[in-house]
Amino acid sequence: MDTWLGPLKDNTVVKMVSITIKNLTKTYGNTIAVKDVSLQIKDKEFFVFLGPSGCGKTTTLLAIAGLIKVDSGEIWIGDDMVTSVEHGIHKVPQEREVAMVFQDFAIYPHMTVFENIAFPLKIRKLKKNDIDESVRKAAEILGISELLERKPRQLSGGQRQRVALGRAIVRKPRVFLMDEPLANLDAKLRVQTRTEIKKLQRELGVTTIYVTHDQVEAMTMADRIMVQRDGVVEQIGTPDELYNHPANLFVAGFIGSPPMNFIDCTLVEKGNRLWLDANEFKIAVPEEMANKLRSYVGEEVIVGIRPEDLYETKTVKEPVPENTIIATIDVIEPVGPYVLLHLRAGQLYLVASVKHTRANIGQQVNIEMDCSKIHIFDKKTARAIL
Amino acid sequence: MRFPKFRRLSLYILLVLLAFMFMLPLWTCFTTSFKTVEDVIYTVPMEPPVSPTTEPLRTAFDIMERPLLNSFMFTLAAMILSCLLGSINGYILTKIRFKGSNTVFLLFTIGIFIPYQAVLIPLVLTMSRLGLYNHIGGLILTHTAYGIPITTLLFRNFYGLIPDSLIMAAKTDGAGTWTIYRRIVLPLSLLPFVVAAVFQFTSIWNDFLFGVVLARGAEARPASVALANLKGTTEFQWNVQMAGTLWYALPVLVVYMILGKYLIRGYMAGAIKG
Amino acid sequence: MRFPSQKVFTKDRIVTSLFFLISPVLVGYFVYVCIGWNVVVSLSDWKGLTPSYNIVGFDQYANLFQDPVFLTALQNNLTLILLFVPTSLSLGLFLAILLDLKVRAEAVFRSIYLLPFALSFVITATLWAWMYNPSIGVINTLIERTGLGFLKSGWITDPNIALYCIVLAIIWQFSGYTMLIFLAGIKSIPESQIMAAEVDGAYGFELYRHVVIPQLKTPALSAFVVLMVFALKAFDFIFVLTGGGPGYSTYVLPLMMFRETFSMTHFAYGAAIATILFLVSLVIVVPYLYLSFRREKE
Repeated sequence: MDTWLGPLKDNTVVKMVSITIKNLTKTYGNTIAVKDVSLQIKDKEFFVFLGPSGCGKTTTLLAIAGLIKVDSGEIWIGDDMVTSVEHGIHKVPQEREVAMVFQDFAIYPHMTVFENIAFPLKIRKLKKNDIDESVRKAAEILGISELLERKPRQLSGGQRQRVALGRAIVRKPRVFLMDEPLANLDAKLRVQTRTEIKKLQRELGVTTIYVTHDQVEAMTMADRIMVQRDGVVEQIGTPDELYNHPANLFVAGFIGSPPMNFIDCTLVEKGNRLWLDANEFKIAVPEEMANKLRSYVGEEVIVGIRPEDLYETKTVKEPVPENTIIATIDVIEPVGPYVLLHLRAGQLYLVASVKHTRANIGQQVNIEMDCSKIHIFDKKTARAIL
Repeated sequence: MRFPKFRRLSLYILLVLLAFMFMLPLWTCFTTSFKTVEDVIYTVPMEPPVSPTTEPLRTAFDIMERPLLNSFMFTLAAMILSCLLGSINGYILTKIRFKGSNTVFLLFTIGIFIPYQAVLIPLVLTMSRLGLYNHIGGLILTHTAYGIPITTLLFRNFYGLIPDSLIMAAKTDGAGTWTIYRRIVLPLSLLPFVVAAVFQFTSIWNDFLFGVVLARGAEARPASVALANLKGTTEFQWNVQMAGTLWYALPVLVVYMILGKYLIRGYMAGAIKG
Repeated sequence: MRFPSQKVFTKDRIVTSLFFLISPVLVGYFVYVCIGWNVVVSLSDWKGLTPSYNIVGFDQYANLFQDPVFLTALQNNLTLILLFVPTSLSLGLFLAILLDLKVRAEAVFRSIYLLPFALSFVITATLWAWMYNPSIGVINTLIERTGLGFLKSGWITDPNIALYCIVLAIIWQFSGYTMLIFLAGIKSIPESQIMAAEVDGAYGFELYRHVVIPQLKTPALSAFVVLMVFALKAFDFIFVLTGGGPGYSTYVLPLMMFRETFSMTHFAYGAAIATILFLVSLVIVVPYLYLSFRREKE
């Protein structure tokens, strides 16, 4: 699996490298940057820390790298306890055998590309021939073999990023840590490089933690994602789980573009059925869900429905009238493969994503909801009920 | 983090030791200024005086009073003039670029680095022809002229950071060159003025060469020259010498303590003194 | 939008131009004209109080290079440069690295180390005269009190070591400046590079050797030029402290120029020395300025 890397000083047996974090907390003055974060990352997993700016994802990453000390908690890399505040253990970054890629690439401007990539090997005092071989192999994998004698200032952003990657893969790190490595690339390059990084990780089979604020990036690249806000873990799960079963309002609204629609409703009982009563319309609760919701009758809830689960009635074969909203189209945004309808129903604003529409701006249309796809959130706790 | 095994304590000890070494001369100057002649001979220089007295300070002040006044006058005057001119130059060089503005700037900058010995003789001749030899006006003119290069550098660096779009907006609003300077650039210039003023004050106050060449006479003698004379004439009265040094150093020390960080910015602009 | 009339525009331009013209006139005269004038004087035979502009070619220069006093002064200057510049740079670098180690009260230490640089040379010369005084001066007293009496010396009264005493004193005065320049350079290296190096396995000395110091070429060069130019024209300090003595052991070129010109009225001779000083500094400064201007363009 690692044979392409050439001979290295310590021929360690390939071990399983999982990462365990227990109750990690880090405070800066009065701000809690990371609050009681616990998670388990599996061997060879591509794990993403996702969240808005300042949510603590980079702080958590730096703590795993050993570049900052924490106030409480434990970090394990493989069988190694690298951080434990309780036991007074803090292994310095140099000893953790992790490799890190930074947002600004952090490549040394006074060294050539070759020297940059060779640096970690040179520090470990490997033999010159071994270094040479490893560097060339790494450069080949990343497609920068012709750039080895150049200096960073002669390279483009994308090329510099590959140098940073080269420096990370050239030794046998147990873990890859990446801090928003694509943020400084232009949009087209970003999409391209995304796939390449993912492929690279697959080939090398190294446990990876990837930090980003871009949920599209997270969704396309991750095996599993941890969503963080204000230092706290909001949810951990696969992209599928996060998308289809968000645990709370924040995750539901953060993941998915365009974002989920939220409607304030009251749960009422009329006849034998439960209804979600928004002022502009009523939605009948499907039988399968009714049982779970009984205890919320009379309460205020928030209903979430994704744009692609809203349909213009003409496209649905069997319209069920009770789940229909009559709305006016404010804006039509053609996005290529689909069309976004920005709708207004009374005080309610919705976005629907449809394949095509013949309607015009200002026109009133019937919008139907796919009730099997609705999410219901407790208004007080913001947590998902359904 | 960078020296994980390095003990912080040893670092602080080293820093404090170095601090003592750096401050030692000034400290002994301070203690000696308050000592009687007997104290000077019989006590260790670093020790505070046994019977402190302000007599050396008063003696020194009598000698230095007029020169200190002179220094204040020409230092402040030349400082203000050179800063104003530097500001205008910086404005023109960055916002009204004309052909050869880079060459002009280069020629100015060379003026920062020249050894002043190369102009002393013509300078003396010029000043005596203008009737400014041994005259405060001569020192003002000299320090203004030789201060322009460095103040121009400081202002140019600062004004280069003002976005051109600001100037263009003003032009579109109908403002002329001078108006733009007065209404837009100048109000933004508090910081570079402070930096330039502090730098110039220190440089001009500290000058000795121009003083000793152009103004040895008592009417216009700067404090620096007076102090050098003091050292020569009070050969064994160390307490008076140190007291004189203290008087002369006082303004610069005060400026350094209050506005030191601006002086630092001036130094970092690649400037020199002396 | 009403535009001001053409008249206002022109008046505006005139006012600005007037102010801007003052500087080139002043600088042009006091720097360039005066330098040129000095060169002319150096080519004359002016001796004594009445100016004389008989051009005698390079006679003065020829005399200089046969004058043992000049050669001594030249040698002293060279010794000064060779000892002062590298030591000051190294000490400054050392201090900068120390202060960069996330020291509390960094600003306080920095102010203390930099303070000597802010002082006039007359002040520091007087201070060091007191320090170096052989009988009751600070250094000898310290040495005696710590029982190392055998180290006592005549310091600046001893012609063999007087020059080195001067070098020490000016290193003391300038190290704060070089420290400042290097500190700025070190701080301009992005933190992410340091973090990357730590993750890559570099410890303290290795980290500085491979990652930090190689990136300090620009500040080092700028400090180097400043120190070199100073070492060439160092006059105030030496004049006040030793006056060039004992004998000619601390006699340097700027001092010689001053003496010859203003004490002995050998104006043309002094002008020649001054011209030599000017040319040497030009050689150092112009390439440096050219390089930094080009770098600015990039």
